[in-house]
Amino acid sequence: MPQSTLSFARTFEGWDPPPSPGELREILFRSSKAEVVECVGDSLLVEVTPDRLDLLSEGGLRHHLEGLRDRAVGLPAWRWRPKADPSFAIEVAASVAPLRPYLGAVRLRAPEGDGLDPGLLAEAVRFQELLHATLGLDRSSASLGIYPAEGLRSPLRYEVAPLDDELRFVPLDGNRAVPVAEFLGGHPLAERYGHLGRSDVGCLVLRDADGEILSLPPILNSGDRGRARPGDRDLLLESTGRRSSRVEEILGLLELPFLARGWEAEPVRVRYPDRTEEGSERVGPRSLGLDPALVVRLSGLEIPATEMIHELERSRLGARIEGSGLRVEVPPWRPDLQSPVDLAEDLLLARGLRPEEARVPPSLTRGRRLPSVRFHRAVRTQLLGLGFVPLLSPVLVPERNVLLLGRDPIAVANPVSLEYARPRDSLLLSLLAALGDNIRYGYPQRTSELGPVVTPDPESETGARTEHRAAFLVAAEGAGFADGAAVVEYLLRRASVTGVREPAPLPGTLPGRAARVRLAGAVVAEIGEIHPEVLVRLGVPVPAVWGELHLSALEPLLRGE
Amino acid sequence: MVAPEGSGPDPSALEITLSPPERQILRRLRDRPGLTEETELPSATGLPEDVLRGALQRLRAKRLVVVEEEHRDRPELTRRGAEARARSLPERRLLAALERRGGLLPTEELVSDAGLAPEERSVAIGVLRRHGFLEEGVPFRLRADAPDPRKPLPEETALEEAADSRMGADAAVRATLLRRGLLEIVRETRRRWAASPEGAALPLGEGDRPQVGALTAALLRDGSWRTAEFRPYDVRGEVPYRSGPDDHPYARFLEEFAEILVGLGFEEADGPLIETEFWNADILYMPQEHPARSVHDVFFLRGFSGRPPEGPLLARVQAAHEGVPLPGEPEAISTGWRAPYRTEVARRPVLRSQTTAVSARFLARAPRPPFRMFSLGRVYRPDALDATHHIEFFQCEGILGGEGTSLRDLLGIFQELARALGISEVRLRPSYFPFTEPSVEGYVRHPRLGWIEVFPGGLFRPEVLRPLGIGVPVAAWGIGVTRLAMVALGLSDIRDLFSHDLGRLTARGM
Repeated sequence: MPQSTLSFARTFEGWDPPPSPGELREILFRSSKAEVVECVGDSLLVEVTPDRLDLLSEGGLRHHLEGLRDRAVGLPAWRWRPKADPSFAIEVAASVAPLRPYLGAVRLRAPEGDGLDPGLLAEAVRFQELLHATLGLDRSSASLGIYPAEGLRSPLRYEVAPLDDELRFVPLDGNRAVPVAEFLGGHPLAERYGHLGRSDVGCLVLRDADGEILSLPPILNSGDRGRARPGDRDLLLESTGRRSSRVEEILGLLELPFLARGWEAEPVRVRYPDRTEEGSERVGPRSLGLDPALVVRLSGLEIPATEMIHELERSRLGARIEGSGLRVEVPPWRPDLQSPVDLAEDLLLARGLRPEEARVPPSLTRGRRLPSVRFHRAVRTQLLGLGFVPLLSPVLVPERNVLLLGRDPIAVANPVSLEYARPRDSLLLSLLAALGDNIRYGYPQRTSELGPVVTPDPESETGARTEHRAAFLVAAEGAGFADGAAVVEYLLRRASVTGVREPAPLPGTLPGRAARVRLAGAVVAEIGEIHPEVLVRLGVPVPAVWGELHLSALEPLLRGE
Repeated sequence: MVAPEGSGPDPSALEITLSPPERQILRRLRDRPGLTEETELPSATGLPEDVLRGALQRLRAKRLVVVEEEHRDRPELTRRGAEARARSLPERRLLAALERRGGLLPTEELVSDAGLAPEERSVAIGVLRRHGFLEEGVPFRLRADAPDPRKPLPEETALEEAADSRMGADAAVRATLLRRGLLEIVRETRRRWAASPEGAALPLGEGDRPQVGALTAALLRDGSWRTAEFRPYDVRGEVPYRSGPDDHPYARFLEEFAEILVGLGFEEADGPLIETEFWNADILYMPQEHPARSVHDVFFLRGFSGRPPEGPLLARVQAAHEGVPLPGEPEAISTGWRAPYRTEVARRPVLRSQTTAVSARFLARAPRPPFRMFSLGRVYRPDALDATHHIEFFQCEGILGGEGTSLRDLLGIFQELARALGISEVRLRPSYFPFTEPSVEGYVRHPRLGWIEVFPGGLFRPEVLRPLGIGVPVAAWGIGVTRLAMVALGLSDIRDLFSHDLGRLTARGM
């Protein structure tokens, strides 16, 4: 879950008194998707669900709490201009399409007599990094940039520039211009993100009308034209990415710390080779319809429309009755609200989850176990009755046992441990793992397991098949094939069938002492004496025999299918 | 360590059989009230001492007699001590030689005249000096004020006492004789015996009537058991170690859990452990770029591929993701994820990371409402392996659907489940899952662990239900069954749920 440390003082500036940590904890737990992890001094560590990143900024959390505590309701006040300044635009070159095709931008202006203060700059940069790590998928999906916009000469241009000696820039953390090619070859950020912003022909740049580089998206801003400083009154926020929706989402969220401090947002016109975006929806609220019947249906409660409006407003949304429905206004920093159910959820959560409203629904259904459960249970009981100790093992088995037996089950592409590298294709793998783990105990040892295995199956939709098996293993002085076969025959007899044994070379068993058991042509069981090589490698001093019933194959046969 | 099956004393050890000497002794002890000195028994029974001792010990092991023991230490001459006594002590021999030589003995004559072995010299000289017989220095000279040499030396007295098994008064002298290896201290135990209540009550049989140990088939067959006298067994004796298989504790817990859900009207369903991403995520409206679909959250599989589902489902799910109208419908459900849907992602096989895939498969079979379904199965997530995280664990999940199913019903089910599990307090809070809206999280209060998060749930989004053709609201819930199992089985390490250890498994409990 995303977490961030906020400044308690900044969040509750002007609140008299601010909430106590206890109150804050309680109200967030009950009515929000944020949770206080720790609150010490000015440091407020908050965790949110991935859809409410807006609550990880001081301004966002403050708005939300104002609503929940009825201090302020409805859309928070923020200033925006509906239309883009016609004299300012960003051109997107066709060359960026294969790398990072989308760009969005917003201009922000400080309130009268104010400017960027260090606190706001720090908050914005922290939030920007959080957005990179979360929605931006470590910048691969989308990334953000903050620039001083005063005196910036339009049009800006977002393009792929060839990596020649002319292409130079001052890295944000440097103090002299270096060739971009050199920067890309050695800077740690370029090592990490360089592949996202370069191709065979060049690298992504955002430059002004003079050709000066503002940034190398999505790697780093320039240290001269691309460095926002305390006191700046006019800023440009920009986002580039591989998906337009992500670009919009993270841009809307990054506006929040500024708008919450009274800054004014203005759309920026973006010209693509084939179209022009005015970008107005990036600064003002968007509008969604909500049918009150949906809220009633989801909640199971007859909530009056006026109460719905009140709760939506407590959730810091604009709401009014329009015709037979509701019209809801959503600010740009709430990308999670896309459809009526999202609005209904916000409304219900603002109202609070009330245990007293729970209703135990009358049960009109009859519960039942899977049809196979009865059969599995019978086999389990029979094995227990024969004195086999039941095991419950992970399906993922160690690579070394797979190699030891010479089997070739499906392989996990990204295992976290060689102990859990392969989903077993036979319960023998698990029984042998247990046998090897139990050599300090005496013999005889009789173990069993009933559980799933997976095998490749090109016919299946998933490319594999999950089967249920029941297996047993006897390790004892004198144990041999006949002991295994006798148990298999007993289990089949209990299921009222008889199988036919045929010799089969089974991995990990002694040649000539292993068999498959067929019933109506299908393999329903396997039996084999474990190969001495396997026993010796596991450190087992006595012979062992194993049998495995293929329950999933057997079951339909028993039902006469 | 588990002892091998059937080890330990033989069961027939329980049988109380008495040998003739045991019988004779027991009878004698029963005839005499009070305690009988062990030393009296040989003459009273006519049994040799070794036979007597063995029989008494066996009677004692069978708890038929009791004994009172009194310990006494007494000195006894060692072999050297006995020789020295016979020859007289070296100090006496030196004293005698001095007397013979008129009180003066040159050093070189110690051996020839006094007959002292080299190792005896210094002891003899030391003793005589200590008792004031000898002047300091050489040659050896009797002191003028020496005690009367005819009186026995203290060493001689102590030696005589030891020969007599008496302790005597001079402990310091006795200690020097002990050091010189002339005597030793022997601990003597005086035992007095009596029959125990069991021994007193034990039928001893009147002479010739045979006593029967094990009841045999032959006894039953020929009817001789009717006249036989059965020897009673020592029911408090040790018995062989036995252990046997029991249901696996975790498997049993899961079984019982499933039965609770059946009792609440839920029908069980299952699904494959290997799923395509379509069923593991796409159908649940999880965006294909969702962070929870990365290699850090899902196990991918090597070397093969699945295929998208047959029929119209793929196109419908794709439309929901892309935010376009479902085929044949006028309007899109929502704006979707506003990203192109990729079929090559949909067909990738993974180890299922949630049992919600089972719910989706159940819904795809168009169940008739109202319905309630649950699944209880293994899921896989790449995670650090430690006491609280495993990459393979069980998840339990259920859905209920029907006209009018709402958030209230979901909260009601939480309370019902909690009650069935014996949990009284449930707290609810908002949560987020990509496939439900609203989403909630239920916490229960555990007496030891405090509030723990065990019930995630919500109402399936229209983007999940409409492509599946489900027209009624469906509430979905999960239960942190692994957590509850650890609590129920008293485990603090999640890895112990999969323990193979036969010692733990056969000693019942984990």
